[in-house]
Amino acid sequence: MDDLQRNSTRALFVWGANSYGQLGLGHKQDVLLPQVLKEFACNQKTLRNVAGGGGHSAVITDTGELFLCGQNKNGQLGLNHTEDVIHFTLCSSLSGCPVAQVACGWDFTIILTGNGHVLSCGSNSFDQLGVPHILRGCSAPQKIESLKDIVVVNVAAGLRHVLAATENGSVFQWGTGMVSHAKRTCQEEMIPSFLKAKEPSQVTGLENIQVKNVTSGSYHAASLTAEGELYVWGSNKHKQLVSKDDFLLKPQKIDTHYFLGEKVRRVWNGWTHMVAQTETGKTFTWGRGDYGQLGRNGMLCEGQSRDEKRSSELFLKEPLTVPVAVPSLIGASEIACGSEHNLAIVGSQCFSWGWNEHGMCGNGTEANICSPQPIKALSSGKLLLIGCGAGHSMACCYVPG
Amino acid sequence: MSVFHDEVEIEDFEYDEESETYSYPCPCGDRFLITREDLENGEDVATCPSCSLLVKVIYDKEQFMCGEEVPAPTTNKELVKC
Repeated sequence: MDDLQRNSTRALFVWGANSYGQLGLGHKQDVLLPQVLKEFACNQKTLRNVAGGGGHSAVITDTGELFLCGQNKNGQLGLNHTEDVIHFTLCSSLSGCPVAQVACGWDFTIILTGNGHVLSCGSNSFDQLGVPHILRGCSAPQKIESLKDIVVVNVAAGLRHVLAATENGSVFQWGTGMVSHAKRTCQEEMIPSFLKAKEPSQVTGLENIQVKNVTSGSYHAASLTAEGELYVWGSNKHKQLVSKDDFLLKPQKIDTHYFLGEKVRRVWNGWTHMVAQTETGKTFTWGRGDYGQLGRNGMLCEGQSRDEKRSSELFLKEPLTVPVAVPSLIGASEIACGSEHNLAIVGSQCFSWGWNEHGMCGNGTEANICSPQPIKALSSGKLLLIGCGAGHSMACCYVPG
Repeated sequence: MSVFHDEVEIEDFEYDEESETYSYPCPCGDRFLITREDLENGEDVATCPSCSLLVKVIYDKEQFMCGEEVPAPTTNKELVKC
């Protein structure tokens, strides 16, 4: 423990869109600069995981307590009611059952417990809870019974679907959110069952592969193997899957040459863009980039002057749909993606880039940011953890006490 | 003229019968909204009450404008065939 840690306190900073109180600040106004949560029950605790959905947020402490806030119309906070909650509140129905990871979908929440069980709450309009007898939704976390004999090690949620990686390296998917997209590109009978499953269904095409990590975009999915290979499937509407097809019905490997032959170690997803880090710390971005969400300094960002655009276009040697390493993100220790914005911890600084209409980039303005910029308001703290919801941002830091 | 954030098929919207409104996730965390009446009048721009983004709604205008009962794109009854 260094001096800063010994003489400082932990604090959770929040900023960005706040239409439903998802920042936990006790109000519903957007916040353009990182603001510390003063009366937060977790300020004396270490946080393990910070995640956000459409209009809700979730954090887990190192003792496995789950706190949530924000929109709750569909019961996505798991608090046994459906009123919005504007302060982080303990999900007490899980007491005695420590939480290892939480993944927030658009209007539902997926909870992975320390013993590898998966629970879900919120909207079930697209069968995303994995509990088919629930009709519209559920405000109390329900155990997904069909996974009870399987040890899950990692979960991810899209807008309307869920992914789970198991201890033995296989992947399950459920929720029907991708089906309409698939149907527009192929005949219905060609759609594999895992893309239209109301209960967890094993993803086919990954049988001989050891998956260790799953992540999700709005309507696409990604799996990272122990060998450092990246597989993707689902909607390719914005060419985020490095493929010419509009939709990938089965997992397809993104060829290693796109990552300069290096193994991929970590991957993150915005709604329609992707970020991956290789074994040497290079950080690649690709997919949709029209709000600056690829951080490549050359994207045609709204608000840029024509001269800026022209000079930055000179940097643009590759199309957006090809992974390109972003120099300022080399060695990033943490990355988090919102729908169209991103955060990264690089060294001692927190960087942000992308869509900024609600101040989710945390620089005090609402202008999009086309290349990663340090968030000045967080410069005095030691950053520990970052997380994003669709349009909001969170960072846990040590601050001088 | 505004640029659309996306073009979205009406079947991907959720329908709320009480407010007769179709909604679809907006990247800001709120929802793009368009009422059934708007669609019956031939409008095809769904707006978000919290931000400037817009989506173009892809739908069969004739089907809506003739005032017929159009089934809501809710539960995926047809999707359970395996």
